[in-house]
Amino acid sequence: MEVIRLEGIHKTYSDSGVPVHALRGIDLSIAQGEFTVIAGPSGSGKTTLLNIAGALDTPTEGNVFFTGEDIGEKSRNEVASIRLEKLGFVFQAYNLIPVLTAMENIEFTMMLLGIDEKSRHERARQIMRELDIAQLADKRPNEMSGGQQQRVAVARAIVNNPSIILADEPTANLDSETGATLLDLMQQMNREHKLTFVFSSHDQHVIDRAQRLILLRDGVIEQDESL
Amino acid sequence: MLFTIAWRNIWRNRRRSLIIMVSVIVGVSAVMVNDGLMVGMIHQMLDNQIGSHVSHIQIHAKGFNANPVVQNVIPERQRVERALEGTAGIRDWSRRNVSFGLLSSARNSAGGRIVGVEADNETAITSIHASIIDGKYLSGKPREMLLGRRMAEKLKVGPGDKVVGMASAMSGDVGSELFRVVGIYETLSSEFDKGYVFTSLEDTRNMLELGDNVLEYAVIVENLDDIEHVTQKLRETLGAEYEVLSYADLLPLLVAQVELYGQMMYIIYVIIGLAMIFGIVNTMLMSVFERIQEFGVLMAIGMKNSYVFRMVMIEALLLALIGTGAGILLGIAMLLPLGTIGIDLSIFAESLTSFGAGAIIYPRLTINSIVSVVLIIPVTALLGALYPALKATRLQPVTAIRYV
Ligand SMILES: Nc1ncnc2c1ncn2[C@@H]1O[C@H](COP(=O)(O)OP(=O)(O)OP(=O)(O)O)[C@@H](O)[C@H]1O
Ligand SMILES: [Mg+2]
Repeated sequence: MEVIRLEGIHKTYSDSGVPVHALRGIDLSIAQGEFTVIAGPSGSGKTTLLNIAGALDTPTEGNVFFTGEDIGEKSRNEVASIRLEKLGFVFQAYNLIPVLTAMENIEFTMMLLGIDEKSRHERARQIMRELDIAQLADKRPNEMSGGQQQRVAVARAIVNNPSIILADEPTANLDSETGATLLDLMQQMNREHKLTFVFSSHDQHVIDRAQRLILLRDGVIEQDESL
Repeated sequence: MLFTIAWRNIWRNRRRSLIIMVSVIVGVSAVMVNDGLMVGMIHQMLDNQIGSHVSHIQIHAKGFNANPVVQNVIPERQRVERALEGTAGIRDWSRRNVSFGLLSSARNSAGGRIVGVEADNETAITSIHASIIDGKYLSGKPREMLLGRRMAEKLKVGPGDKVVGMASAMSGDVGSELFRVVGIYETLSSEFDKGYVFTSLEDTRNMLELGDNVLEYAVIVENLDDIEHVTQKLRETLGAEYEVLSYADLLPLLVAQVELYGQMMYIIYVIIGLAMIFGIVNTMLMSVFERIQEFGVLMAIGMKNSYVFRMVMIEALLLALIGTGAGILLGIAMLLPLGTIGIDLSIFAESLTSFGAGAIIYPRLTINSIVSVVLIIPVTALLGALYPALKATRLQPVTAIRYV
């Protein structure tokens, strides 16, 4: 089943005066259960592509379909709802809410969904046990290591059972060992819960684990292979 | 959870939050003290006027207040006295004659109100007997007179000296009487002390050829809240031949001052509110700009604009509520002791005593000022947070996340 489809995506940044063609005609479809890595040199457009796929940014040209629906025709609030219910994000800089504890960070989107407190606690506890971060429940982000923060971020991204998790260089700020454990975790989630993951990375360790590898160069897909 | 986040965010930049809170606290407590001072002053002016002469309710013949001539005597005064005895809520009443006349000593002369009172009954109505600074109060003997300090100075007389009083009598001739000064009084209002002299009811009856008629009844009620009610009752009982006036009717200037003060207070609220709005706008804008990335993430993970908006508003509201609460406590902490100690405004005493408030003002804590700040300050804070909150909702998630 198809989760995201990009059709004829172009993205041109023109805010600096000189137009930068970050993406130049991308056609791409991501299916349920994939474990996809988007690789490519710096500046090839990986982040731009993920942002557009995650409806954080709008393409200059082309359409983004989420489970068959054209995102471009939706209001800001509808798009926010889709992100809340169907998408999970993991950022390179973790980006947890600094004033909330790990547990509260994980609960936050459930709160936005209007899930009652008791169910929130239960679900958060369950996911923390699964990701082996139960001991971090009451810690604030500034009391955790980068690897710990990124685990909490993964928990936050998957807690609502999203259709897809988009992760822009999730291991770039971690040492290789911590990065590897995190990838193990995501692979496990992919296997056990059929969660769909799309990463961007130029880290060979990440690329080695890809089931599908998309190679980006100068804003076009140079290679797209299933491994 | 939004409250939790807002609460913790407030304490994230402790110094900035404290600065805005302190400015709210100072504003709130300053408004309360100012309010208390003004209310205290007005009450003192009213109390002094009521206590030295006006009383709660006065009864005259119709038209006497506008045209206080001796021919305007109270018709059938027994009717009035029956009404006074038969109306509930009246504590005391006394008979008076009030006329404008000329007072002359051997050395000078001055115009003033010559008030004839029943020496005993009057002590239950006014506090002149307690304001004697030299000599003594009226004993009830004939031709005694009390002068205010300023009047005594003008006439250059003291206890034991003679003063001649002259006033237009019933027949139209000038009636006169020789008085002996028995005492000098001083109230908190020097204007009053300059204008009113007291003697016995009998003496004024003789001087004004009134027979056993009376020009005025002064009434004190048991319960201040009943003044209007008792006034109305007496009006109904007595009918159109009489005028029954409450202190509010008798002191229109002071009552107008109370209203004027109410409006002045609004101006002060507006000024403080404006200052606060700018403080809040500034604080919340800084707070939003500092957290652009955070807002971007919140939006990326699916937070709707309405939530982003609420988050900023709640934060401003909390700041204002804490500030208002602490400000009210501080205001109370200042007003309670000041209410009994009083604030000595001797530097301005000359003008204050001619206002009739006295040199020491006892500020009053009013529920009114607490209610006003509780209503006004948080609303003001929300107004001030409006722009920063809208600004936050205008952020685009991508640019916000990228923002470093
Ligand atoms: N907001 C922007 N304004 C202007 N140009 C931009 C902007 N964002 C990205 N670009 C440009 O678009 C191109 C693609 O950028 P993008 O960030 O998508 O690349 P990337 O593959 O993620 O690179 P990296 O591996 O360094 O993260 C680059 O040339 C970049 O300079
Ligand atoms: Mg990138």
